[in-house]
Amino acid sequence: MVKFRRLSTSRWWNNRSTWIIIIFFSVLLIVRLSKTFIFRDLYYFITKPFWPGEYQQEILRKSLNQELNIKLNQLEKDNLRLRQLLDLQNFSADNKLNSSVILRNTDSWWKKIILNKGSQNGVRTGDVVTGPGGLIGIIENTSRLTSSVQLLTAPNSKVGVWNERANLHGLLVGIGRKNPKLIFYSKNVDIKIGDYILSSPASTILPPNIPIGIIQSIDNESEPNTIATVQLSANPEAIDWVQIFRMRL
Amino acid sequence: MKVYLNKYLSLFPFLILPLVIFWNPSWFSLMGYQAYWPIIWLLPWALIHGPFKSLLVGFLLGFALDTFNSDVYSQIPGLMICGFWFGKVGRLNRFINSPFQFGLTGAIGSLICGVIYFCQMVANLLLENSPLWIFSYGVENIFAQVFLTGLLAPVFCKWLYFLFSSKYKFNI
Repeated sequence: MVKFRRLSTSRWWNNRSTWIIIIFFSVLLIVRLSKTFIFRDLYYFITKPFWPGEYQQEILRKSLNQELNIKLNQLEKDNLRLRQLLDLQNFSADNKLNSSVILRNTDSWWKKIILNKGSQNGVRTGDVVTGPGGLIGIIENTSRLTSSVQLLTAPNSKVGVWNERANLHGLLVGIGRKNPKLIFYSKNVDIKIGDYILSSPASTILPPNIPIGIIQSIDNESEPNTIATVQLSANPEAIDWVQIFRMRL
Repeated sequence: MKVYLNKYLSLFPFLILPLVIFWNPSWFSLMGYQAYWPIIWLLPWALIHGPFKSLLVGFLLGFALDTFNSDVYSQIPGLMICGFWFGKVGRLNRFINSPFQFGLTGAIGSLICGVIYFCQMVANLLLENSPLWIFSYGVENIFAQVFLTGLLAPVFCKWLYFLFSSKYKFNI
């Protein structure tokens, strides 16, 4: 317990406001060192009464039909290769986890959403998040109760993708806008507007053949590679329920 | 109790500020863009407390906000500059607390912070030899934030100014 003397005879450690500043800065330092996990977990409890209910989840199931149609076409063609990949990657339906979006920051500079599942549910950095329509993003960090998802539209987002029709691989780069850019690895590629873009089977961070989006426009004059704009099939601004695929090797 | 409430009244909006940034209320957004909320708190506080305290508070505010977004870039320089400038403006006794002045000052502050943050992004992309597609998005984002901050600052800043100033006291 610090005892304060009269201000006229005080030194800096007798000044109440000095101690308040020190304590305040210490709290901020603790928050910084803990990387806001304490604050996020506190936010988890504050927002818990306001989470979206099961009714919205039922409504969103209808939009899954479009994703399933795309998946069905790919699964019929790549059945043998997926079985070989499953042996390597241990990716199965048992590793899926449903989660709701409790915080959405999809505008301004930062593109991320916060989910209500964390490390205590087995979620780890690098796990893949999908929603109605396809891939949404990748888990960038987890606290005990919550997880932060870096969206595909984030400026530092880079994922490997491909188009099955032309058997072309490329890199999907977030630019901060709703439609990220797709860089192909060569020039004069056989790609058309309306082609489906899926996660690459050669990717080590994503499960293969998750729907991502559709080619919206192609810039054939770009050098040295062809660059296209992709319209994402999953809209993180409208999604309240997502699935987390826990990637286990 | 009354003394503590009056003295530390500005602390409560400061604690609510991270919640507002986390929550990102869509009612105050325009075509997906949000105002720059830290400026809306910093402006009235700096007008009352002066440039050097505001410089320190700008640093603390930026320090706290950087923690929420695990990015390479920092909001600290922009908020420190804005805090110092707002404090200087308040000391000149030319600030007559009109909505237009709050809006204009807030908009300029948002522009300063946005430009500094965007410059960090551009510098990082140049170091990585990445294409600068983010340029058009960044400029668009800055102007949208400036517009929205200028629109909301007269309302919120004026209310916060009365809350922080010595004219408003709790009578408990």
